[in-house]
Amino acid sequence: MRTASQRRASALLRMCATACACATLALCNLAAAAGTPAGTVIENTATVSFDLGDGPLSLDSNTTTITVVERLDVAVTLQSPQTLVSAGDADSALLFTITNTGNGSESFQLAIDSLLAGDDFDPVPAVPAIYFDTDGSGDFNVGDQAYTAGVNDPLLAADASIDVFLVNNIPGSATNGDLGFSQLTATATTGTGAPGTEYAGQGDGGVNAIVGTSSGSSAAIGEYFVSEVQIDIVKTQAVTDPFGGSQPVPGATITYTITVEVTSAGTAAASVLADPIPTYTTYVPNSITLNASALSDSADADAGEFDVATDPMVVVRLGDLTLADGVQSIVFQVTID
Amino acid sequence: MKRLIGLILTMSALTAHAIAQEQGHLNVTTFVQKEEVSVNTAGEAETQLVEATTVVPGDRVVYTITFRNISDDAAENVVITNPIAASLTYIDGSAFGPGTEIQFSVDGGNSFAERGALTVDENGDVRPAEAKDFTHIRWVMQQDLAVGAQGMARFSAVLN
Repeated sequence: MRTASQRRASALLRMCATACACATLALCNLAAAAGTPAGTVIENTATVSFDLGDGPLSLDSNTTTITVVERLDVAVTLQSPQTLVSAGDADSALLFTITNTGNGSESFQLAIDSLLAGDDFDPVPAVPAIYFDTDGSGDFNVGDQAYTAGVNDPLLAADASIDVFLVNNIPGSATNGDLGFSQLTATATTGTGAPGTEYAGQGDGGVNAIVGTSSGSSAAIGEYFVSEVQIDIVKTQAVTDPFGGSQPVPGATITYTITVEVTSAGTAAASVLADPIPTYTTYVPNSITLNASALSDSADADAGEFDVATDPMVVVRLGDLTLADGVQSIVFQVTID
Repeated sequence: MKRLIGLILTMSALTAHAIAQEQGHLNVTTFVQKEEVSVNTAGEAETQLVEATTVVPGDRVVYTITFRNISDDAAENVVITNPIAASLTYIDGSAFGPGTEIQFSVDGGNSFAERGALTVDENGDVRPAEAKDFTHIRWVMQQDLAVGAQGMARFSAVLN
């Protein structure tokens, strides 16, 4: 005995089976990325209508059935840019994303390889070396859970992804400008092989699993770059006294020139020059220039400001500096109290 | 009471089917194949149609419907209708049927029109229908199907 609500439900279902083939567009698009789910059964029945002279008749054909099997596919992509390290650094992390690009639920086995050809040094995998980005921060930190093969292989639904770190130590023997590679491989637990290789009955719900174009395995390589940057900073001063001379007397103006230059390989990332105003002097408003261009005193969109803190200072943000950037020249003035 | 009438109507429709099948007025069968690409000895890619029982997303499937008039009278107004399953997308230009006019539906088979005449209303934004919008195909025979004559209809779709 079906209740009224059950009847309503089944009526709705029927409507959906026939009428809204793609009325629920959002749902269709959602399914389209990884494809029709493994285990889906597609039936087809043709109908013929005709008239033999006694009025219209209609007939159904036989019904054909095809079953969607599970396609084993995975994609590993590197998320970290080239990672700057120093010789001897411990626990330097590279971030990767693993995406199940198949159409069924699948678990993946992860492996690290830091003994790759084509680089200058071999990073040394930490123990353990593979971690999940458990807190989703994108940064490797204490809360992140370690991966153990066969124990917590990530199980991903079709289209789902997970972020994973490779953690390496940088050998002390690595030298400036050296490159070191480390590779993450994710392999479908059901199996791998040439595309088309079949694993009978091992897909979702007992359907067959077939290896897709990824061969059931995917890898991506991250890069460590040893960057012990040499920076030369030189500060000079010129005094102009109120009497046309160069004596450091009260009322005299001191013009400071600071040059910053990277003199080695590597990148001095997000370099900031901060220079406190000497005691017994007063900053000359609007006197900061960077490479001869004026910078305003206020903290705004330009690269510098006069920071009126307990210890007043001139601050100039130089960005990522390399050898190619040459000499950066900062000039500002103070007067002697 | 209404439900009872509905039930009777359904039963009589079923009976009509059963009678038609029993009397064998028209014989209609359908089968499904998929395209399998292999590389021949000359290193060229060759596409073959093989029996389809299993498919994976991206596979191209071909449905073929054959029908024969096994009655003693010519069949008039012969129309073959075939739904396109939600997980399949029709491949434009693939529908084929000698002596038929091919029409499509974008509304679950309620109405049909020729390929170019169909539009889709997306929240008031009317655009020409695309292959992915089609829910049904039908083949309308332009002439009577003579006694003993056979016809064929076919289309291809890709598994989403």
